[in-house]
Amino acid sequence: MLNIMQITLKGIFRDRVFQGIMALGVLFLFIPSAASLSMRQVTELSITLSLSLISFILLLLAVFLGSTSLWKDMERRYTFSVLSLPLSRSSYLLGRFCGLALFLILTSTVLGTVAGLVIKMAYGIYPSDRPIVWSWLALAVLFATLKYILLVGVAMLLSTVSTSFFLPIFGTICAFLSSGITQQVYEFVNSPAAAKTVSPLMKPLVTAVYYLLPNLAGFDLKVNAIYGIAPNPAGLWLTFAYFCAYTAILLGAATLLFNRREMK
Amino acid sequence: MRPVSAPAVLLVAGLLAYGLLIGPFTSYMANKPVEEKLGFVPSIKLIKPLSADQKELMGASLVMKVLMYFGGAVGKSQDARIIGEPVDLQGMSRLLHGAVQLDPYNMDAYYFAQGFLTWDAKQFKVANELLDYGMKYRTWDWYLPFFAGFNHAYFLKDYPKAATYYQRAGELSNNSLFINLAGRYMQEAGRTDLAIAYLTAMEQNEKNPALKKEYLIRLTAFREVRRIEEARDRFRQQRGVLPHSMEQLLQSDLLTPVPVDPYGGNFYLEADGKVASSSRFSFARTGNPKGDK
Repeated sequence: MLNIMQITLKGIFRDRVFQGIMALGVLFLFIPSAASLSMRQVTELSITLSLSLISFILLLLAVFLGSTSLWKDMERRYTFSVLSLPLSRSSYLLGRFCGLALFLILTSTVLGTVAGLVIKMAYGIYPSDRPIVWSWLALAVLFATLKYILLVGVAMLLSTVSTSFFLPIFGTICAFLSSGITQQVYEFVNSPAAAKTVSPLMKPLVTAVYYLLPNLAGFDLKVNAIYGIAPNPAGLWLTFAYFCAYTAILLGAATLLFNRREMK
Repeated sequence: MRPVSAPAVLLVAGLLAYGLLIGPFTSYMANKPVEEKLGFVPSIKLIKPLSADQKELMGASLVMKVLMYFGGAVGKSQDARIIGEPVDLQGMSRLLHGAVQLDPYNMDAYYFAQGFLTWDAKQFKVANELLDYGMKYRTWDWYLPFFAGFNHAYFLKDYPKAATYYQRAGELSNNSLFINLAGRYMQEAGRTDLAIAYLTAMEQNEKNPALKKEYLIRLTAFREVRRIEEARDRFRQQRGVLPHSMEQLLQSDLLTPVPVDPYGGNFYLEADGKVASSSRFSFARTGNPKGDK
């Protein structure tokens, strides 16, 4: 499995993905000047822009790397040669996942450091009324990384059942978009206001979908980092536990399906 | 001679056409009507789910859109005129309300909305409701109760309510000025002082040159009003009666130099001695609604 992880990381670097990220990372240089357009919250805007850029880059990586990693191997028929080695399919898949997760962690560490410097610079030019809480900023980046690692899991699960890259890519994007609103829909359907307007059949259906889809809204700590609002520690642990449980389910299901998959 | 290849012809033709078109296209975009420039923004109910985990960014970009638009409208003004073309205040308000639904902590939205909803649009109730909404989230921020207090005192003349907001601003900022103001706004006499204190604070914190300019002009006007009020009070002290006109006040040598209204109006005294101006402290009232000379 460690070998596969290494191969995955090497493959990503060989494909010059990191250089691509660095090219996008040039946008960080423009953040202080863009943030200075704000009237009263230059530092806050620079944090918003930095975290958004990190989030966007990680999303692209999670969707495209996660969806194409397995598909590319199968398309190029690399899987035959790899799986002919004394190596189980499970450790192949888990190795791929861990390699991608490690790459996301590496990327967010580098981008997080750059963002820190940019924010410090913006803060130096126009100090904000609210002090910057660096640990919450780091927590926001950490939880964003966890969120996208989970999304890699979704992409890999979809890859194991798909014959092309369309289902994993679009499926992952759909899962990502819906993951932000499932909480709102669930709360609305279960609110007294909806009791009259929503049919009784919808309620269990929505609840089932709510439990099935990943709920990624809890991983978003941007507001806490931007405006220095203390996050709830118990909630953070619960979110972390949710990440572990949900990722375990995704990887378990993906491995089972991958083990049964016929390779032609 | 080598024949020219078709792709090269296409590229050169494209470059030439682009070079010819980009000028007219840029000026067409720059001169688009107001409504088209501020643009149609879909309902926040739709933007919210679509912006996924980028709600703060979406909120900030809506605020920026309004700011750029307003900055452009002010930039077009000439000769110290504030607004050169009718500004879509309703559209601006709609976008800012959307922005705080996406990110209820966005200070720029409250700050900017307060700036134009009160002075320009005269929508005091809308402004106060927005500030009350913001206070639920920005619990540490003294600016919001400070603005709400000012709106109640200066525009709505609801002094008891103004006093409570100033008290809250005072508690949050530990600034004695607000606490003093809270007490003083029970009486109307302090209104010009209040406006000067408020605008000075706004002007000092302002980085946007267009808004800074707007505040400075209003501040100059109010300082002139204050000067007239002081002269009027001295006149009453000396002679026991209120001056019946500005001319009488000027002839008494209590008011030198002659006060000038930067909005182009003429100062006059109302029957109760209140200082007013024919401009009503707005360029629109001086007979130049479009702002040009």
